[in-house]
Amino acid sequence: MSTRDLALATLESSINALLRLDPFARRKLARYHGRVIGIHLRGPEITLYFVPDQQGELQLLGSIEGEPDALLSGSPLDLLRSGDREQGSQQLFNGRVSISGDTGLAHDFGATLAGLDIDWEEQLSRFTGDIIAHQLGNAARRTAGWTRDTGARLESDLAEYLVEEARLLPHPLEVEDFNAGVDALREATDRLEARLRLLRQRLEGQAQ
Amino acid sequence: MSEQHEETHFGYRKVAKDQKADLVRGVFDSVASRYDLMNDLMSFGVHRLWKRFAVELSGVHAGQRVLDLASGTGDLADRFSGLVGPEGLVVMTDINANMLVTGRDRMLDHGHAGNIGYAQVNAEQLPFPDNSFDCITIGFGLRNVTDKQKALNAMYAALRPGGRALVLEFSKPVVKPLEKLYDLYSFTLLPKIGKLVTHDEDSYRYLAESIRMHPDQETLRGMMEEAGFENCDYHNLTGGIVAIHRGFKL
Repeated sequence: MSTRDLALATLESSINALLRLDPFARRKLARYHGRVIGIHLRGPEITLYFVPDQQGELQLLGSIEGEPDALLSGSPLDLLRSGDREQGSQQLFNGRVSISGDTGLAHDFGATLAGLDIDWEEQLSRFTGDIIAHQLGNAARRTAGWTRDTGARLESDLAEYLVEEARLLPHPLEVEDFNAGVDALREATDRLEARLRLLRQRLEGQAQ
Repeated sequence: MSEQHEETHFGYRKVAKDQKADLVRGVFDSVASRYDLMNDLMSFGVHRLWKRFAVELSGVHAGQRVLDLASGTGDLADRFSGLVGPEGLVVMTDINANMLVTGRDRMLDHGHAGNIGYAQVNAEQLPFPDNSFDCITIGFGLRNVTDKQKALNAMYAALRPGGRALVLEFSKPVVKPLEKLYDLYSFTLLPKIGKLVTHDEDSYRYLAESIRMHPDQETLRGMMEEAGFENCDYHNLTGGIVAIHRGFKL
């Protein structure tokens, strides 16, 4: 028994407090009553075992005998991303997160856990010490920030390339010019139509 | 049979063997309703960590049958019920009906049902067929049992081959300064807390005394081996204030 047990107990009660507010998540987890889901964190090299009870609340164990029913392993960051609907399958396919055992169980469990609003940095610090947890947290924040910035920058770079370099798309000024030309043409045809109507009326007047 | 054999300890007092069960029942009748609160106060909440560790040492998993003796309000049984899954079984027992009812109510309040049975049981005379459980635990209960060896023998018989028994119990502090502090705490402060919370100073004095009369780590391990257990070991927790003994039936 050590601070590890205290960390496990604290993490367990934080997760269960959140689960109590989320009946849907609990109902999902309750289906797996008694199954053992292992989460192996690469980097800090910690494995935690989660066992849902009949109410869908979780028990956390630091060690088990034998193998878990499902094992998710990856860096804390990749595991967190794997809960994301858009990025999740990508994480899985590019090999950052690996699953062994019952994949359905692992996937359901990972998604449910990642859906809970938990300060993982704070929780992990109890296992790994503040510094490592802070670095992991920073890495997560940096990556999120990088994705956002890169996304925005990529968008403007791509537009510039298509317009100026590849000349596949018109420059906004060209579009404006084109639109003005279309407007002028439409007005000219309107005028022509009006003059034709006038001419027709005159011809019909002469014929009578 | 000499008079020595017919007497046993009830705390520091010597009482007739056939009286002890009734006296112990009296103690727990008096504290049942506030037992959880009292445990938290007595151990500063650390008893929950001791129990978590015991659960890890139990290796209990889905589909197993677990017997929890002297369950009290069911801290261990509660966790086991989550671990054994819908196909497993946890039998929660206590010699004291009040305690058992309090424990059962708590289980139902937690929504833990379906894989739990309840039985009012004296740990010395287990009403179960031999070889019926994968794991038998007794948490903070063995010291209240009149004939501890008889209880260990009964546990051994009820275990399946390959199964294990865990005894979580107060023990002898291995750190000397801690021992002094612990004495001061348990003989002076503890009964006062008991008086405040459960209005029953005597019951908590009994608890403190019974802890001192309980066999130390090595003696209890010897008793487990005597009962037939193999690969017996123990883990000292919180400087030996509590120890978890574990033995296997091979």
